[in-house]
Amino acid sequence: MAYIDYYKILGVDKSASQEDIRKAFKKLARKHHPDLNPNDPDAKRRFQEINEANEVLGDPEKRKKYDQYGEHWQHADQFEAQQQYRQQYGGAGGGAYWSSSGGSFSGDEGEFSDFFESLFGSRGGHRSGRSAGFRGQDFNAELQLSLRDAAQTHKQVLTVNGKKIRITIPAGVENGQTIKLGGQGAPGINGGPAGDLYLTFVIPDDPVFKRLGNDLYVDAPLPLYTAVLGGEQVIDTLSGKVKLKVKPETQNGTKVRLKGKGFPVYKQEGQSGDLIVTWRVEIPTHLTEKQQELFRELQRIS
Amino acid sequence: METDLIIVSEYCQQSRIEPSFIALLETEGLIDIRIIEGTRYLHYSQLCDVERYFRMYYDLSINIEGIDAIRHLLKRMESLQSELSSLRNRLRFHENSASYLEYPEEDCF
Repeated sequence: MAYIDYYKILGVDKSASQEDIRKAFKKLARKHHPDLNPNDPDAKRRFQEINEANEVLGDPEKRKKYDQYGEHWQHADQFEAQQQYRQQYGGAGGGAYWSSSGGSFSGDEGEFSDFFESLFGSRGGHRSGRSAGFRGQDFNAELQLSLRDAAQTHKQVLTVNGKKIRITIPAGVENGQTIKLGGQGAPGINGGPAGDLYLTFVIPDDPVFKRLGNDLYVDAPLPLYTAVLGGEQVIDTLSGKVKLKVKPETQNGTKVRLKGKGFPVYKQEGQSGDLIVTWRVEIPTHLTEKQQELFRELQRIS
Repeated sequence: METDLIIVSEYCQQSRIEPSFIALLETEGLIDIRIIEGTRYLHYSQLCDVERYFRMYYDLSINIEGIDAIRHLLKRMESLQSELSSLRNRLRFHENSASYLEYPEEDCF
């Protein structure tokens, strides 16, 4: 557990007045407050640091204790025991270090650091007392889905903060899309409603299909002879195999569009994008003498 | 009677929010209050916003006009973030499509 320089966090000098600390805190809080930086974990972390620094430096009693022990915080208990001894037997100084006042924010400021708790105990994490809260806290979670799972409406059981939640994921969700599950956040306070759960989908690349909006793209191998003479070729789609007619003299890189064989459109049942197939003509390898001779013959007459 | 309506006075009491603050939000058009048979109600879906405005007003000392401006900017930011996410997905698609075959140097004429 490392020492935390609260003065550095608030960007103030050790000799700063309480008013300077209050101003520095307000300024930084307005910059990093989670309400003003939604979905930004860095801002949230930074705000927690600022809030903790203010909890200590904004309270003269806590600031005094912090200044007194500073980097030697690990020996704080030892020092205090000695001071109590001195006080008892006519020594100087000492005093009550605990105060319930403070200016912590009423938002979801989260836990304080181990350093804070070792110096001030866990009582520091109180709320300002202005608002006791009513609606429960919102939760954010990420859910990883394969492209193929995202293509079909399915049920899934999630465990969020120890609670099992059964959800239905509609087909067609996109990578990075967030959905709100009402009432699945933290329970409310004093009979208030529960918060919401915001679920963000992470869909890694599929090795076969590439997705662009509701369209899917796939590269399909095409034997040289089918490309030259035409014929039929079986390809993979998300819903199974499909046989396609190939026109004679099909060039490498030719694209064909299969209507409605792409990705399902989100919350529009029965509708799907297109599948775009790019033919990749395969040049035969390991030719026999006879085959090579026939190709040379073709070359001569072309 | 809709079940997702909350009586404003009870909400203020439970959450220790000044009723005048709710009135201020209503006057400035940040929230909608419904009055049914003389009782003022707040829709459940607005609680999240009320609590956010409360934190901005009391904790960050932002006035109501500032909160309204921030509200517009946050909406705009949300729409831009959604556009950014969609563009990122498009970029990823194009980056993955552009695969090159390594060509040995000695084979270049």
